[in-house]
Amino acid sequence: MAQMIANAIRQAGTNFVESLSVFLPRMVTTLAIIIVGWLIAMLLRTMVRAVAGWLRINVAAERFGVTPLLKTADLPPADVLLGAIVFWLVWLGFLLSGIDVLGFTSLQGLLASFWAFVPRLLLAVVILIIGFVVANFAWRATLLAAVNGRVPSPRLLSGAVRWLILILTGAMALEQIAVARTVVLTAFAIAFGALSLAVAIAFGIGGGGIAKRILEHQFPEQPRSSADEISHL
Amino acid sequence: MAQDSVLSDELLHHLMAVGHVDVLVGVPTLNNAGTIRPVVKAVHQAFARYFPRDRSVLINSDGGSDDGTPSLVRNASADDTETVTVSHSLRTVHRISTPYHGVPGKGNALRQIMTAADLIQARAVAVLNADVTGITPEGVAALIRPVRDQQFDYVAPVYQRHPLEGPLVTQLVRPLMRAAYGWQVRDPVAPEFGCSHRFVSHCLEQDVWDTELGRVGIDLWVTAEALAKGFRCCQTGLNPHPATPTRTPFGELFAQVVDSAFACLERHAPYWLGRNGAEPMPLVSPPPTVAVEPPVVNGTRLTEAFALDVENLRSVLQDILSAETLASLEALAEKQPARLRYPDPLWASTVYQFLLAYRGGVMRREHIVQALAPLYLGRTGSFLRQYATSPEPLVDEALENLCREFERSKPDLVQRWNRV
Repeated sequence: MAQMIANAIRQAGTNFVESLSVFLPRMVTTLAIIIVGWLIAMLLRTMVRAVAGWLRINVAAERFGVTPLLKTADLPPADVLLGAIVFWLVWLGFLLSGIDVLGFTSLQGLLASFWAFVPRLLLAVVILIIGFVVANFAWRATLLAAVNGRVPSPRLLSGAVRWLILILTGAMALEQIAVARTVVLTAFAIAFGALSLAVAIAFGIGGGGIAKRILEHQFPEQPRSSADEISHL
Repeated sequence: MAQDSVLSDELLHHLMAVGHVDVLVGVPTLNNAGTIRPVVKAVHQAFARYFPRDRSVLINSDGGSDDGTPSLVRNASADDTETVTVSHSLRTVHRISTPYHGVPGKGNALRQIMTAADLIQARAVAVLNADVTGITPEGVAALIRPVRDQQFDYVAPVYQRHPLEGPLVTQLVRPLMRAAYGWQVRDPVAPEFGCSHRFVSHCLEQDVWDTELGRVGIDLWVTAEALAKGFRCCQTGLNPHPATPTRTPFGELFAQVVDSAFACLERHAPYWLGRNGAEPMPLVSPPPTVAVEPPVVNGTRLTEAFALDVENLRSVLQDILSAETLASLEALAEKQPARLRYPDPLWASTVYQFLLAYRGGVMRREHIVQALAPLYLGRTGSFLRQYATSPEPLVDEALENLCREFERSKPDLVQRWNRV
């Protein structure tokens, strides 16, 4: 009996030592992967920020209206943000690779899922960037056309155009990374429909006069005459 | 593009029949049935009266008129019998009306006329504007003679008009081009000019024809090219042309003219960056002394929207203008429209900063130009309010001061231009 207990304890000890001899190198490997990954991620962040600085990404972000939106969202400048995104993507990759080395059954497949998610995330980021550019272009074009065309409330009009595109872009980006897909789609459809209906009702009830003035201005029955109609050339 | 792709087979056939000529007059048209006959008549009278011994040809380059303009040009001879009885041309006067290919526009028409002039080696070329009816035989001759008799390469017209007329020229293009190119050209955007065969050949070799500048800003480019490439230039006086209402809406017209001016300055920067001051350009014949009526304007409507426009465009203007200039504009906008005075130094620095923004590409160029339009209207309204009732010499003096202000501010522009 005692002999059996001693054998069991010895076996357990042997098993423990064997497991430890298997786990410890894996643990060291994991730590090494995480530390090396962190260093590589840091290096890449520095490089991305340097390249972004050389490419004048902040100037481009300013020009395309991204910077004010980043400030509003309390986010860092575009070059810092780009560096941070690269850092976290790379380091998370290494982190998950490290964890994968440990061989935990419950964490198996996490790395594969992460790498499957990265392209969708990148696509979402690209959609957001394009959305920012298009929204800012449309905002400025609308503002200038409205001011020069003497359309009432040009800032309201151009702001509405910008936010409509940004909301649409945000919904498309969320759809791409499959975050609460049904909720996002439903919320967007409801919000967009409600907004369009509200604008239509508001313009129909309250803006009839404005619409009439705009149409009369655009399509005058007779040539307009004024003391300040001047030949500019 | 090679000659054969600009000139159709039919046109080539006509030109070969014409052979070498001394004088060529080109008239680009697009639905000008209402105004073309007096222009053709004036050309024929000019050929008969002033160049009877010269081999002459009139080429009408048409952009696809659907109002019968080309047939009016071709059949205009019957109307001119009274002219021919007074003075005869000793040679056959040829008249060709031909469509040009490509997008309708002055650029393609001018290219066809110049290509034809180059092919038949016209010694003197004049290009006329078919939109106006006030052109006289003397005016046509005035554009040709300096080239034919005095070996000038480019002749710019000086129209007899009231100094309050054409504010886009007097307030913006003239002072800007004068300060930059260093030549006192009175109307750099004139649609009419005279030029030599040498200048025609030079223009055809340039890569401007297939660009936006070539399509909509060719009038300005021709003047700027003549100045920048060292051709012998002069000015000649022309009769006042009765102003015809422009077919282009203001916004489009403003964008075309300002974009063309900025594009020319960018192309010719190596020339003008080193120039200082502004030399007077020879005036070979002064404009006829005819009393001209001042325009019935006082600028009130133009200044009314200025404050609101500056407020609305603040987020766009802050990317274009310096903080100091924007603050000055905002201070100006706070005043009552009736008291708005847009000073010369502020206007000069506004225009120069827009030019620098255009060069630097701080946003799409069309947006930069569009953003300048409300400020131009404010400045024009302010000027018109100030000088609406002033005598002509006083207005002329104010316009001269504006040009000098642009010249004074140029060193700062040059310094910043090199940093952009």
